[in-house]
Amino acid sequence: MVSHAQTHRLASGGLIDRSAPLNFRFDGKTFAGFQGDTLASALIANGVKLVGRSFKYHRPRGILTSGSEEPNALVELRTGARREPNTKATTAELYDGLEAASQNRWPSLRHDLMAVNQLFSPIFVAGFYYKTFMWPAKFWEAIYEPAIRRAAGLGRAAGVADPDHYDKAWAHCDVLIAGSGPAGLAAALASGRSGARVILCEEDFALGGRLLADGGTIDGMPAAEWISRTLAELASLPNVRIMNRTTLFGVYDGGTYGAIERVNDHLPSPPEHQVRQRLWRIVAKRSIVAAGAIERPIVFAGNDTPGVMMASAMRTYVERYAVTPAKRIALFINNEDGWRTVETALGAGLQIAAVVDARPDVSAAHRALAAKAGFPVLNGFVSGVDGGKDGVRKISVALVGGARAEVEADGLGVSGGWNPAVGLTSYHRGRPKWQDDISAFVPDSAPPGMVAAGAANGAFGLGACLRQGFAAGVAAAQTAGHGVPPVADDEAFSLTPLWHVAGKGKAFVDYQHDVTASDIELAQREGFESVEHLKRYTTLGMATDQGKTSNVAGLAIMAAVSGKSIPETGTTIYRPPYVPVAIGAFAGHHRDENFHATRLTPSHHWAAEQGAVFVDTGLWKRAQWYPRAGEKDWLESVTREVKAVRGGVGFCDVSTLGKIDVHGPDAGAFLDRVYINTFSSLAVGKARYGLMLREDGMVYDDGTTSRLAEDHYFLTTTTAKAGPVMQHLEFCRQVLFPELDVQLTSVSDQWAQFSIAGPKTRDLLGEIVEPVADLSNEGFPFMGAREVPLRGGIMARLFRISFSGEMAFEISVPARYGDALVRNLMLAGKQFGVTPYGTEALGVMRIEKGHVAGPELNGATTAADLGLGKMMSTKKDFIGRVMAGREALVAPDRQVVVGIKPTDKTRRLRSGAHIIPKAEIPGPDHDQGYVTSVCFSPTLDQWIGLALVERGRERIGEIVHAHDPLRGENYDVELCNPVFYDPDGGRQRG
Amino acid sequence: MAEFSWLPRSPLEHVLVVGAYGARDVAPGISLTEIRNFDLIQIMARRGKGAELANAAKARFGMAAPEVPKAVSASDVTLIWSGPDQFLVLSKGGKHAMDILSQAFSQFASLSDQSHARALISVSGMKACAMLAKLSSLDLHPASFPIGAAAATSIDHTSVNLWRGSDLPDGQAVFNLLVFATFAESLWRTMLDAAAEYGVDIGYSEELG
Amino acid sequence: MRIVCPFCGERELGEFTYLGDAKPVRPSAGGSEHDVFDYLYLRDNVAGAMSEHWYHGGGCRAWLKITRNTLTHEISSVEPAAGVGAAKVGG
Ligand SMILES: [Zn+2]
Repeated sequence: MVSHAQTHRLASGGLIDRSAPLNFRFDGKTFAGFQGDTLASALIANGVKLVGRSFKYHRPRGILTSGSEEPNALVELRTGARREPNTKATTAELYDGLEAASQNRWPSLRHDLMAVNQLFSPIFVAGFYYKTFMWPAKFWEAIYEPAIRRAAGLGRAAGVADPDHYDKAWAHCDVLIAGSGPAGLAAALASGRSGARVILCEEDFALGGRLLADGGTIDGMPAAEWISRTLAELASLPNVRIMNRTTLFGVYDGGTYGAIERVNDHLPSPPEHQVRQRLWRIVAKRSIVAAGAIERPIVFAGNDTPGVMMASAMRTYVERYAVTPAKRIALFINNEDGWRTVETALGAGLQIAAVVDARPDVSAAHRALAAKAGFPVLNGFVSGVDGGKDGVRKISVALVGGARAEVEADGLGVSGGWNPAVGLTSYHRGRPKWQDDISAFVPDSAPPGMVAAGAANGAFGLGACLRQGFAAGVAAAQTAGHGVPPVADDEAFSLTPLWHVAGKGKAFVDYQHDVTASDIELAQREGFESVEHLKRYTTLGMATDQGKTSNVAGLAIMAAVSGKSIPETGTTIYRPPYVPVAIGAFAGHHRDENFHATRLTPSHHWAAEQGAVFVDTGLWKRAQWYPRAGEKDWLESVTREVKAVRGGVGFCDVSTLGKIDVHGPDAGAFLDRVYINTFSSLAVGKARYGLMLREDGMVYDDGTTSRLAEDHYFLTTTTAKAGPVMQHLEFCRQVLFPELDVQLTSVSDQWAQFSIAGPKTRDLLGEIVEPVADLSNEGFPFMGAREVPLRGGIMARLFRISFSGEMAFEISVPARYGDALVRNLMLAGKQFGVTPYGTEALGVMRIEKGHVAGPELNGATTAADLGLGKMMSTKKDFIGRVMAGREALVAPDRQVVVGIKPTDKTRRLRSGAHIIPKAEIPGPDHDQGYVTSVCFSPTLDQWIGLALVERGRERIGEIVHAHDPLRGENYDVELCNPVFYDPDGGRQRG
Repeated sequence: MAEFSWLPRSPLEHVLVVGAYGARDVAPGISLTEIRNFDLIQIMARRGKGAELANAAKARFGMAAPEVPKAVSASDVTLIWSGPDQFLVLSKGGKHAMDILSQAFSQFASLSDQSHARALISVSGMKACAMLAKLSSLDLHPASFPIGAAAATSIDHTSVNLWRGSDLPDGQAVFNLLVFATFAESLWRTMLDAAAEYGVDIGYSEELG
Repeated sequence: MRIVCPFCGERELGEFTYLGDAKPVRPSAGGSEHDVFDYLYLRDNVAGAMSEHWYHGGGCRAWLKITRNTLTHEISSVEPAAGVGAAKVGG
């Protein structure tokens, strides 16, 4: 494919590699550029001026800047799953095969039908959405919102998962430097030479900041040579780390900084095993913000015409990229710095059409230069631009004194002065202060440990940047050995403030959000005068560029119309991130199956071999049921598992329970204080069910705790509360009861624990436990707990406890033997039809048995609500005792746990249904509780459930409505004893 | 009656694949080695018994147990600080196993066997610090985390014990990581993800070196 | 935010869990409902230095008493809870 010629590329110069030509496509057309180009510079090289359409009015837009402050030249970069909207052409590095498309236009950039919005522009004023779509309310969802969503927004997200990887990392240093301009490099030299650990972050791929475009003489050598010498010296220091393509975007408490490194954004896709971007959290003792300054536009009619560009960006394009944004350039400036563009343009052989300088006192040297080059210097203001999507043709000038002039030009460079980049220094709610001589906000305070240096600190002279940077580096390193500072002259800087040229036609303040000067005036008239109100009413500064080119101008206009000074008007709060950061970078590795860390039980891989279906329980993967060939659904599998247990024997991995070793002479006394019942009296070799309350009297957690030795208890928690209970117990131990001699250790991962249940449990255990262990009812009674030897040489702990209501034991072995244990149980149990069961069958059996679990331990139930009130000891203090006695917690009409059965035995129950008295019409007025847990009981051959019902225990036998408005169901259930199965408990004790 | 075998199965046995992983165009920057068998006992001093425990530890191990975040090693044992009033005893071959240490320490300390509760992973290589910087918020620069430094910290919001071993003869850094067994596979995947770009050499060792 | 644990050294916020006001003292056994209510629910909403309980659960598992300025997040002191380091009691 033939590339277009680079018609606007200079024959020589620039920091591009002409030996590395690159092809790229923009809106389907093929162009050529060079290594070292950005997409913006390559588009300019090819004479492309129209790059996008604006957000609200779909106005044609070109390239305004050469950096990350760009509000206009936003494109969709890449295609397919990697398509990324709102990418700044000014920072996107060119690579071979790059594909980009313009945004916010239909059907094409040059013929955008949505540009009719411009005709309706009087109604798209500030507060438009608030005012227009107020009524009728029902139109909002149906008509307004979809229409707005189609028309609004820039760019399209890819719509499919991002195929790239992102990662996150930590870095630590003594001195963190933001920016590699003269101040940043000088700071790095000073601190690096002294031996401090230094990290320098530069958002650009090339190091040098404005030196790359503006040059200068440092230590008697050209800036380019000084940069390369400096970088060589820094590279020789092992304690200095230079990170280019890395933007420092946030400042957080305690010297923690956020940075985004675009590791492979400059390639079509990351090389195999590499990440696209990396999010850094950098911990620094000191930091130096040498992030430079941003040149600010002047607000005048037509200031968004393609071809209008910041004067400094013009220099960057000419000097750094050797491309010509225009052949005949007019300049509109109010400060000395704008004249540099004149010199750059003339040096590159470009024509200057005119310099419109708002200052009355242009120096003799400049006037002489103008005379020599043959262009006029006009003291006045640009009042309008004649041009359109093909660029600037002519500009109108209002001269001081009232006359008017017109200047033919194909490009207009603008400089309204420079705004120090005060974002980083202001992220801790710092308010910058106004500095009159540069008419800009400069850092006043900064977060602890941070200083600003150079242009970011309002020092615009090269010599001053070097001095400030070096001094900041010396101070931050806090050690000697920093050598001598680099030296350069300071250029003069003079500025006459100018923000807005009044006139007809749209004059843009915020280009990205299409906020005009008249929007700000309107906001003021309507009372939105506070800058925070102004921002939200007009959306000034709320686009992805965060108003880097627009905020100060917006404030200045507000100040002018409200008759205040700019410092009185003040700034909005600065908040990170400084540049947009992809959500993928924040997620890093934590997506898809790695969204969070997962925990596997010791029998996990065996269960997977059996084809178990797993369920996420907190962080755990638990076997939910074990389907067998021919079973048509989960219910059939679960029913089989329950019947197998009730009729024979089954086992279930319960290793997910939290397990805590409670050691020490005061272990019993300690447990007495955290459980409602007494454990100090528990005999060694015995287990007891325990219930903990929160201090507010509500049930916190339950579990079985065994006494393994005089000074050693083995405490179990529910799966869900394992971590919180450990934290709670440590709080009790360390904070509440420091006088007790007790030690806690989590042993959750040390033990593989299985529940073995069913009438044939002893038969199965008899196969696997050495005969020396007496498992008879006398030798190992209900709630016994002790160590037993297993055949083949390992020791296990046996606990005779039952959740299922069957004759049952829990057996635990050191976790690395968990897999062997489960395989041996299958081997030994084959003759008894041993059946592994999952959490569903476990749940069914606990409901049949009326045991409470998570749905009943909901944080709002008392021990009495759960039918466990009698466990509460009256002879001791314990956590929650006093509050549990509060009037409302012992009220007779509390909702308490009861069983429910549908009157129609074929009816399915669902949890969440509300309980309504039979005589009442279902509705919130008569709500008496709700269904917490349901299951199909294979044992009773019908659905059963547990519910929390007002005065439930007094109403056993009553028929009530189960009202389920969510599912549109309404049916009768009978309140019954929650223990559906073996209410005397004979089976588990037998 | 069936014959039962009790083969221990390490928490990483399923997921660990010996050999190269990740980038192949470079010499592996990371070695990941699981150590499968070890004795690990947590010892926590009882109230007011710090001095007695210290004496008993000295007598038993021939060195003082660390009272600050450090790991100290003798030929047959490593003592790793794990929190105030507590340390871990890492050893092999049953010489310092639970029953033996219980006898030596139970008067002044509470002991808890953690031998099966953790997986032990050694991370070494020229890129070990770069890779660990993706997992750990700690500053592992030799100036702040020198040989013998230990930390009770978190990776992926999961508690771990991390300590720095002696450098390898070629100067490569060595870090040892105890992670909870039930989290081990998940953390292993995280580690491989972090290490892939540097090239990884994966292996395991049955015993502590 | 970073917290200097008296045992572990400086660590990042993610290793810690916040509990809240460390000023209220749990009434001893026999405390009235009124006392416990105060302990449990009545909290000052301090703008400035506040004593707080934090748990270094992602590290050494020590409960800490931290003085933190709620306006600036500046931490002026970190002390272990009374029951940490009990091995040295009386020793
Ligand atoms: Zn700590």
